[in-house]
Amino acid sequence: MHLLPRHFVFIGLFLLIGITMALDIDVDVKVSPYTKQMHAYIDSIPEGSTVIMSFDHEASSLPEIRPIALAMLRHAFSKNIKLIGVSLYPEGTLIGYRLMNNIGKEYNKTYGDDFVYLGFRPQYIAAILSMGESIEKTFPQDYLGYQYNAIPMLTSITNYDDINCVISIADGSLTTHWIEYGGQFDIKILGAVTAAMVTTYDPYLSSNQMTAMIGGLRGAAEYEKLFGMKGGGARGMLAQSAAHLYVIFLIVLGNIFYFRSRKKGAKN
Amino acid sequence: MDISTIVAGLLTLIIFSFLYKDNPFYKMAESLLIGVSIGYVLVITWSNTLMDMLFEPLFQSGKLILLIPFLLGLLMLGRFSNKTAALSRIPIAVMIGSGAGIAIPTMLYNRTIKQLTASVMPLFSPDGTFNFAGIVVIIGLLSTLAYFYFSREHKGKFGLFAKVGTYFLMIFFGTTFGYTVMSRMSTFIGRMEFLLSDFLKITQ
Repeated sequence: MHLLPRHFVFIGLFLLIGITMALDIDVDVKVSPYTKQMHAYIDSIPEGSTVIMSFDHEASSLPEIRPIALAMLRHAFSKNIKLIGVSLYPEGTLIGYRLMNNIGKEYNKTYGDDFVYLGFRPQYIAAILSMGESIEKTFPQDYLGYQYNAIPMLTSITNYDDINCVISIADGSLTTHWIEYGGQFDIKILGAVTAAMVTTYDPYLSSNQMTAMIGGLRGAAEYEKLFGMKGGGARGMLAQSAAHLYVIFLIVLGNIFYFRSRKKGAKN
Repeated sequence: MDISTIVAGLLTLIIFSFLYKDNPFYKMAESLLIGVSIGYVLVITWSNTLMDMLFEPLFQSGKLILLIPFLLGLLMLGRFSNKTAALSRIPIAVMIGSGAGIAIPTMLYNRTIKQLTASVMPLFSPDGTFNFAGIVVIIGLLSTLAYFYFSREHKGKFGLFAKVGTYFLMIFFGTTFGYTVMSRMSTFIGRMEFLLSDFLKITQ
């Protein structure tokens, strides 16, 4: 395998993904029970209910997080669900605001009436527990500097008792804290996470500590299919399948080279 | 094309150049990423935390109770000098003490009791069908625990049972690794989509 310089491996991946994305072929994805569960839950939320969407991720995971967040925001706004945006990671703050604002505009939603963005609070455990007591005390002002009690949609919101559920959009273990600390207040926790974190949250889903979960670009593609839209998830599916086949091909090739060199070594 | 797309596109290509060879452009982009990230976090922390939660309520609204966290925060800065370093132990003790007080019962309940309860499933479901998954879960749980039990030598039947635990662990690690590869590929695909559609305008 050492005969193949590593640059060729990367160039091969570049070309493969470039070509598959240029082809723009629709791949029919099979929707997993996880995604069905998430879609069904969001679908069942009564119109006018309030949901907290927490952007608990860093900028580096945006390519994977963005399609998931967009699909969920579109679904929530189309169902006339009121959204409160927060962020427990500083890097997710502006990203969350932009995503929420852009999709809000797409659905003609008004800031302050249909959605609001409260911004970032440090010490996530303290922030989660504090919101259980009083959201106003945790966020006296929103991200844009408006006083909490001056925002129309927040006048009837005191704490988690007035919230239907929390959707944590995360690339790390922050959803765990929502489950463990937010769960103390009997609030339903839903996770929209990167694929790498799916196995971390699986036990929480099995134990019903978490209500629903979708994971990764694949989860986004499945959600887009259920919602009836074509977004970043669906566009990336062909490229992802091709990339996985490429990795399998390289593993097989590497093993062939390895066993051949071992055989040669034994003969010598 | 706006300037931010051009800058983002060029920086993405510069970061990818590391795959060929380490180079000064990559170093510059790497430093820029770290610098911008730290600068952004500092600004957000200053405006959303220190100003919103401490300075404005304390100095403008006169909430004197906030003097306590303010003083504890100042003591933390004592670490910058050897003479005053010991003072920083006070806020650290408060943080660790309160943190442990909150975390220990929560962890014990959510990570141990709740998870253990969920692992114990009935052997037969209400409609009378045999719950095969329940058997797999209980064997997986006990054999994996046996693997991490080091007070007894892993020999004989116990060794065999612990060996079964390693297979369950390997299945978990394999699944996690597979998902991680999928996650990294998704990130790469996301950047490629940006390069091809927004930056190079090759695709729609």
